[in-house]
Amino acid sequence: MTELLLWPFVAGLVLTAVHAWFGLHVLARGVVFVDLSLAQVAALGLTVAILAGHGVQSEAGYWYALAFALGGAVLFALVRAFERSIQQEAVIGIVYAVSASLGVLVLDRAPQGAEHVKQLLIGSILTVTPEEVALLGALYACIGLVHAAFRRGLVEVSFDPQQAAARGRRVFVWDMVFYGSFALVVTSSVRIAGVLLVFAYLIVPAALAGLFTSGLGRRLLLAWTLGASLTAAGLYASWEWDLPTGPAIVSAFGAATALVGLGFALRRLSVRALGKVMLAATALAGLLLVAFPRMDQPWLDALESIAPPVQTVFLTEHERATRADMLESIGRAAAELARLRELEQDVRWGRREMDAEKAERMRQYIAGRSEISAGEQLVLRSLRDKARGRQRLMLGLPLLLVGAAGFYLVSVKGARGARRQG
Amino acid sequence: MLRALFLALALAAAPGQVLSQPKLRVVATSADLKSLAEAVGGARIEVENLAAPEQDPHAVEVKPAQVARLRGAALLIRVGLDHEPWLSKLKLPPGVVVLNASQNVRLIQTQTPRLRVERRAHVHAYGNTHYWLDPANAVSITAAVRDALTKLSPQDARFFEANRDAFVDALTRKIEDWKKALAPFRGAKMVVVHDSWSYFAEAFGLQVVAAAEPHPGVPPSPAELAALFQRMREAGVKVVISDPHSNPSLVRQIAARTRAHPVTLSSSGHDYIRLFDDNVSRLIAALKQAGP
Repeated sequence: MTELLLWPFVAGLVLTAVHAWFGLHVLARGVVFVDLSLAQVAALGLTVAILAGHGVQSEAGYWYALAFALGGAVLFALVRAFERSIQQEAVIGIVYAVSASLGVLVLDRAPQGAEHVKQLLIGSILTVTPEEVALLGALYACIGLVHAAFRRGLVEVSFDPQQAAARGRRVFVWDMVFYGSFALVVTSSVRIAGVLLVFAYLIVPAALAGLFTSGLGRRLLLAWTLGASLTAAGLYASWEWDLPTGPAIVSAFGAATALVGLGFALRRLSVRALGKVMLAATALAGLLLVAFPRMDQPWLDALESIAPPVQTVFLTEHERATRADMLESIGRAAAELARLRELEQDVRWGRREMDAEKAERMRQYIAGRSEISAGEQLVLRSLRDKARGRQRLMLGLPLLLVGAAGFYLVSVKGARGARRQG
Repeated sequence: MLRALFLALALAAAPGQVLSQPKLRVVATSADLKSLAEAVGGARIEVENLAAPEQDPHAVEVKPAQVARLRGAALLIRVGLDHEPWLSKLKLPPGVVVLNASQNVRLIQTQTPRLRVERRAHVHAYGNTHYWLDPANAVSITAAVRDALTKLSPQDARFFEANRDAFVDALTRKIEDWKKALAPFRGAKMVVVHDSWSYFAEAFGLQVVAAAEPHPGVPPSPAELAALFQRMREAGVKVVISDPHSNPSLVRQIAARTRAHPVTLSSSGHDYIRLFDDNVSRLIAALKQAGP
């Protein structure tokens, strides 16, 4: 596990270190999508490089991408002066859409690049090499030093531009420093981690930190902690549940955001409001079960898998026996198929000898047995549908009535109570 | 009654054909099928391919001019199976004859993943679609092309027949050369990035043991990759084959962690025989470099 995940983790730390800082700035400036936009401009630069005959991984490709991204940075810095006439977010969105389309037009002339540019946007953090991480770390250390040296001006221009202008700071020059270094960061990060992951590193830790503390220093520390631990969580999930790594990390960031949001919502919610939400959900679930018993009812599926009697009490004696048979047979087949597949792999890789005819027989047996299993799954499904038809009135109707009556009582009583108090 | 109708149709169609002898317009979805069609049709047909050889054949964006040319075509030759999902979005004009080149070839890996009970390295529901990479399949593909062209232009039947025979002769000789060149490496185990090389491997007695990226565009998970590296080191796999559009970072990683030699082969080309010439020589170079 460590052999494969060490360098992705270190890469995640490097990304966290620099992106959390830029994220705080970006949130303060209210230009959340600037990163996606610059990444798209950089990708356009890369496609132009491909059209000019350079390889995707070539150095020339990187410089083209950087030059284009810097061009975008100049544009964004220029636009800020006219914020009253045109919103920066509008310009950022336009740049995003137009450069994405231009990229498609350019790629049409150089089709061999299309897949590579797509891969660039998805990223491949799992296969990052130590050299790439070291290079990235060195570059970001330099940028970090520059930002640390000029932090007062940079912070003032991001967080309080009016005062900065009043004090006689040249806002355009400072904006150029900010967007210029940001373009450099985005171009370099996206090469390794892909657009989505870079966006998550930029926005999520900074935004979550903003919910919990104030003060730039404390926010930065909290954002770093969050970024590092969520990277670890995402990598662990990717290993444990066999998931593609980049999307798994992004999902870890998303799950953290959702948890925090839920926590905040629950703190605001009174017991009565919570009860109303639950009762309404109960009524809705009952209503759907009554109206469309054949549709997917994930909550009921989950309930049945935890407590099978929820389904089996609605089946006849005979149906219950069939269900048990099918489940047993599927379980047995799964174990047998797993064993045979392992054997098939061993034969394929040459770890075990088997003559060709026997191997072919085994292949056919595996194919046939998994088809039978698929058939058995269908039988289970049709039993479930039968149960659903009976659950419709015996389960759906009570749920609907209880939910609706409860909701009504809580609302009316609540309203009366409020009136009495008032 | 019916005969009269046919006669009337034939009379209506005949003058144009006899007078100007316009070239038959053929559209092929891939460059390989175009090359095979040209080998049969020669100067009597004009072929255009919709997907460029460098492109990922599964994801093609068709342009207006191509749609227009498709409208004017007499014959559309396609790979078939589920190789060109984008083709179903194009409304084919009713007059176009469609030749599904997969119909007379022997397909492999045809078991269907019905319920997704488990993750399997298998994307194609109707069998592996890269059947033109077994050169022997070109024999039946060109036969189907000859029959389709003959039906459209019966007066050229002999011309098509002779062209196709000459092509099959040349191809048969070439196949022997390729087989001879690859004979020393019989049974060599190879890992591919995308599962496009099973036909090729089977044709030349090589063995594809695994695909590193079972679902194109979805990067493998760390556990899958770890298992692959382990297996590759144990089995001493010497060569990893990538397509031109494979993820270079993944290929580099496999090569670095397992000492397998990376080689990029093209699964599609403008000249069918040259395509195999190039691939065979590149593969041999890699196998030689990888050592015994």
